[in-house]
Amino acid sequence: MREVDNANPSILNVSQLPSRSRKVTTPRQGPDSKCDNIVYSKRPWLCGSSSSEDEDLEEEYGEDPVDAQDIYDLISPISDPEHPHTLGQLSVVQLPDIHLTPPPAERRGDKLVTVTVDLTPTVNHCSLATVIGLAVRYRLEQTLPPNYRFDVRMKDGSHAQDDQVNKQLGDKERVAAALENDTLKGMLDKMLETCV
Amino acid sequence: MPPPPIQLLPLATFTPDLYTRAWQSTPHPSLPLLATTHDKTVTVFSLATFSKHSSLTGGHSRSIRSCAWQPSSSSQTLRLVTGSFDSTAGIWTYNPAATLEKPIGQGEEEEEEEEEEWEFTLVLEGHENEVKSLSFSPSGQYLATCSRDKSIWIWEHLSGGEDGEEDEDWETVAVLSEHDGDVKTVAFAPGFKQGKRHDGRRYGSDCLASGSYDDTVRVWREDQDGEWGCVSVLEGGVGTVWGVEWEKRERENGRYQRLMTAGAEGGVKVWELKEEEGEEEEGDSRWGGVPNRMRQSLREEWEVKGVLPRVHTREIYSVGWSGESGLVATTGGDGLLVVYEEDEETKEWKVRAKVEGAHGPYEVNHVTWCRRFDKGAEGRQEEMLVTTGDDGVVRAWEVRIGE
Repeated sequence: MREVDNANPSILNVSQLPSRSRKVTTPRQGPDSKCDNIVYSKRPWLCGSSSSEDEDLEEEYGEDPVDAQDIYDLISPISDPEHPHTLGQLSVVQLPDIHLTPPPAERRGDKLVTVTVDLTPTVNHCSLATVIGLAVRYRLEQTLPPNYRFDVRMKDGSHAQDDQVNKQLGDKERVAAALENDTLKGMLDKMLETCV
Repeated sequence: MPPPPIQLLPLATFTPDLYTRAWQSTPHPSLPLLATTHDKTVTVFSLATFSKHSSLTGGHSRSIRSCAWQPSSSSQTLRLVTGSFDSTAGIWTYNPAATLEKPIGQGEEEEEEEEEEWEFTLVLEGHENEVKSLSFSPSGQYLATCSRDKSIWIWEHLSGGEDGEEDEDWETVAVLSEHDGDVKTVAFAPGFKQGKRHDGRRYGSDCLASGSYDDTVRVWREDQDGEWGCVSVLEGGVGTVWGVEWEKRERENGRYQRLMTAGAEGGVKVWELKEEEGEEEEGDSRWGGVPNRMRQSLREEWEVKGVLPRVHTREIYSVGWSGESGLVATTGGDGLLVVYEEDEETKEWKVRAKVEGAHGPYEVNHVTWCRRFDKGAEGRQEEMLVTTGDDGVVRAWEVRIGE
């Protein structure tokens, strides 16, 4: 086992984490939803020339358009690769550092939505910053519709090699190749086990 | 008088859908075939019917990122080379017996035995990481491959496969490791006009351009001793260079083809080789105006001579420059397909047509110009655009000029 970069990170209690006061994720009703876990388990957005042409993806996803809290809820439960805590608890992911363009009110149909997530690694030389960023990008790509674009970056000044890590996380080809690396993929899957 | 309008009209969707991210589609230089890379497979489509012709499977352990057809002038054998994330390049040849039974250009009717049609004949090993792109020299003699390991390898095709009996023989002739980051793309210059101004005594006729994660483009040539070297570094200013595309039409006064570069930061630049003026009487070379001792330096200077209007809001992944019309097309992460034209008088580039959401909400990884072979083309030498997307769909677009 490698040496832990930051042996004593500050940890937030679950009750301290930002959450929505009202509950938005009402479970689907009726018999047509009982296979949802199978059908929608991984990437629910079908590829192909005939899919998504007549569907409003925003509506498909839920009644409310996706906002920063939804993004937070998707990525904050990801486990840190070296601590037994989530990225939310470690404040690696913070709600004010998640931005969506255009904002929910101005969205229409399957126009592109850009999600910007600035991460704050627990220490500024954290060698696992790239892996954490990759997990966040992977989680978002797996769960959000194809009209979403993701810019996952290290928050300014939070990491010694910001530019290098940001460039790597923004490179589609590198991300695709990394996900075909069994060791790395295994690590990501383990980090995502805590996501429900 | 304003130029006639250009419309981009959906012409066809290649069948079947591939249902997984498709990276690149490469038309054969002369035959009605298009090879699309996706997952660990290449699907070859017929350009006559827009349907599947054959497929190449089982050769690579990770995704195939790119592929290139060997120009057929050098060989009677139909040969495709694949570059894979498994760090190798694969040589594939088409089984001539299968060709007899099923004429090229016909759609795939029977699924049986299709795996047998393409033979995985040789693995080119040497790169340490993912192979990202490959390109053949115009004669088909040289193959360039590039990788995340920051290097470009040049391979020479010595023999093989001509009568289906001989073993494939490929030899490494150069390993070029001057880039400081992943080499994303390589492209040999088209070879139709080499020699008019070009000094054959200095260099061989082949010229290679490479684009990199280090944000630069490099131009490489072979000297008279067969040594490959970098002759110029083009500081792109477009971020990671995803696309390099040579001009494919002969230029006035025999000037060298221009080079277009496109990158992660959404810009496209047009580069031109700085050539000495008033050297026509020398006749033999563009080096004619330079004293002999200066010729020892293999350096050459490339200048930005044009910038395409900025339309894309995210990365540009691909740029295609038509050899027929001179039109340029780009695609990228924002799903746009954009066509540009150079004003003949002002030499300014203008946007002539644009399609939003060319692949619905998905990113468009590749665009290429392609000759039409379908019935709708009515035998004219008409061109279309082919785009390849994250939705696993390959689309053909009619480029209608005028009414």
